[in-house]
Amino acid sequence: MPSENGRGTAEWLQLLTSLPGVPGHEAAAAAGIAKAFALHADRVDRDRSGNIRGWLDGVGAAPRPRALLAAHMDRIGFLVKGIEPGGFLRVTELGGFDTRTLLGKEVLIHSRPPMPALFATKPPHLQKKGESERVPTVEDLYLDAGRSEREIRRRVPLGTMVTLRQPPIELLGGRMAAPGMDDRAGVVVLLRTLELLARDRPGWDVVAVATVEEEFGVLCLGARTASEGLDPQLGIAVDVSHGDMPGAREGDTVPLGGGPALSVGANIHPRVLEGLRRAARGLKMPYQIEACPIGSGTDAMDIQIAREGIPTAVIGIPCRYMHTGVETVEPRDVDRCAQLLAGYLRALPVDWRATEVLK
Amino acid sequence: MRRNGVPSFDERLLEALSTAPGVSGGEEAVREAVVAAVRDQVDSLEIDAMGSLVARLAPAAARPAGRRATSPAFRPPHVMLCAHMDEVGLMVTAIEKEGRLKIRKVGGIDSRILVGQVFRVGASGLRGVVGTLPPHLIPRADRDKVTPIEDLYLDIGASSREDAGRAVAVGDYAVFDTAYERWGTTRKGKAFDDRAGCAILASLVQRRPPIPITAVWSVQEEVGLRGAAGAARRVAPDLAIVLEGTASGEMPGAQPGEAAPRMGGGPALTVHDRSLMADARLVDLLERTARDHRIPTQWKRPGVGGTDAGRIALSGAGVPAAVVSVPCRYIHAPAAYLDIRDAQRTVSLIWHTLETLRKEWP
Repeated sequence: MPSENGRGTAEWLQLLTSLPGVPGHEAAAAAGIAKAFALHADRVDRDRSGNIRGWLDGVGAAPRPRALLAAHMDRIGFLVKGIEPGGFLRVTELGGFDTRTLLGKEVLIHSRPPMPALFATKPPHLQKKGESERVPTVEDLYLDAGRSEREIRRRVPLGTMVTLRQPPIELLGGRMAAPGMDDRAGVVVLLRTLELLARDRPGWDVVAVATVEEEFGVLCLGARTASEGLDPQLGIAVDVSHGDMPGAREGDTVPLGGGPALSVGANIHPRVLEGLRRAARGLKMPYQIEACPIGSGTDAMDIQIAREGIPTAVIGIPCRYMHTGVETVEPRDVDRCAQLLAGYLRALPVDWRATEVLK
Repeated sequence: MRRNGVPSFDERLLEALSTAPGVSGGEEAVREAVVAAVRDQVDSLEIDAMGSLVARLAPAAARPAGRRATSPAFRPPHVMLCAHMDEVGLMVTAIEKEGRLKIRKVGGIDSRILVGQVFRVGASGLRGVVGTLPPHLIPRADRDKVTPIEDLYLDIGASSREDAGRAVAVGDYAVFDTAYERWGTTRKGKAFDDRAGCAILASLVQRRPPIPITAVWSVQEEVGLRGAAGAARRVAPDLAIVLEGTASGEMPGAQPGEAAPRMGGGPALTVHDRSLMADARLVDLLERTARDHRIPTQWKRPGVGGTDAGRIALSGAGVPAAVVSVPCRYIHAPAAYLDIRDAQRTVSLIWHTLETLRKEWP
């Protein structure tokens, strides 16, 4: 899908996945995303928790209802927690990395200026028997920046953010792999949706929110505070869904290129889901249903229980190898998610409410 | 930097060699780069039956011997210097119906580093990622187990066998996708084991040596020290020195005895490893030469690893052999480190050793 300003979806994925931003340290990502949202939104602001909000006014009669679209801008990463003799660094993890993939990976320590380093551990010939058959934990690993202890101590304060240093790569068929597709791909969906809606506006007001601290683990803080602050009548989270991989049990994954994955389950309002399915059919767009029997594990969990309860849905971008440095998506799926959201929101009657007055 | 006629280490060549793909059995790209760097400097240049590159250099015209008196009958030895061109990597063994590539290791790669790693596949350098199920979808008890390579695959983004077959073929090699970088005196790159040795050797032949040498860039070291055997037979040297990138030992909590050699501490000399008892006279001569020229050296951790020197030593009626290595962190992994000063020091040490050998060899 070519964009008005000439930047294609693949290019946006490349740009936004390259911005750092672990939970609680989203400033650099926020600045880049605010700039991107401002290309299409009527207003862009930052709320007290650090969420970036892109506002688009609807064309319905005021007072208009408000839809919240959420994609989290934080990505999993690490913070420096200690420096050992020799200048080796120990880190603490933010968000659940696939620890099997860390050993030997390059990272960027976000000192000023940033400093590249490697994840290392005791080499195989110095390990005790059996050690090399176990996946090293984050505690077993250290970072080696190849610099003197003195330089490390001078330049890297404890608490400095560390992210995987894997540039986005293009695979066959236009597929793209990068760390941070979870959930910068979702942020690109929001950006594309704003672009589509700015051209042909819906009745509702729409606020696209790039949320903070989804990966922190305790709660989706940004989604919660954004929902409290905006009091939306509808909330849709856009996040990544596990893509098809061999060995996965039937029903655990959705194929790449198969279109948006619509979650079904307790976190999803059935009428919103029905509306999304109808919109997909109307657009003659392939989509898939993903069963989330207990929770969706997305911002929608905290949107749903904000204020008096908010009807929610989750749109998933099929993504392989989640929580590694090579999270892989197909840009076509990202485009379809945006087209689906825009189609659904345009078709949404201004007086639609999930609440029903029975008497 | 040229002191006492010692050749300078060619870092640009190290960068080119480090970046080139060359898994054991597929060393062509590395060989081409070496050929381009040395063709004009050597007297003869051959590729042997296995693919190793053999270059001969006659010494410069006789100069008056140094301070040490030598008998007129003394004939300096013919020295073979050897570095291997191949690196560890993967081979594509099958293309699955869904377009995924089944893979096997070529050489010793720690299985723990494979998942989620980016590789460059085949001559075109097409990128692929090593995929597996995410932890969310794996039973908790299996999450800390290392996934065997049989359960891994390369995902190049292809959606079918036909789709993948247009870009890759069974038998294609894959190498780590690692950029060469400079941080202070540290250098980061792929395959410093043994492109460091290859670049040192190519740097040495940029000047006419004091004694006859044959430089060998060997193949298939990582799959059983195979290429050096035939090359040594062909060269039939009086003695051999193998140039390597070896594992350094520094790490947090290293015990004394584990921590050597150290990156930046100078060339590492081998006493013995799993393949070789280094020739004691040659080691002594190397150490003495280093001391005379104030080149710091250190000992490689004894008893571990193996190099082409093990093969060369057994060639013909036997060849006295030694190993001089640049200490590298994280060999056989996606990215290794070395200290660029150690590379120049190794060039200097070998050069001065050749000069010593012009005057004495038992």
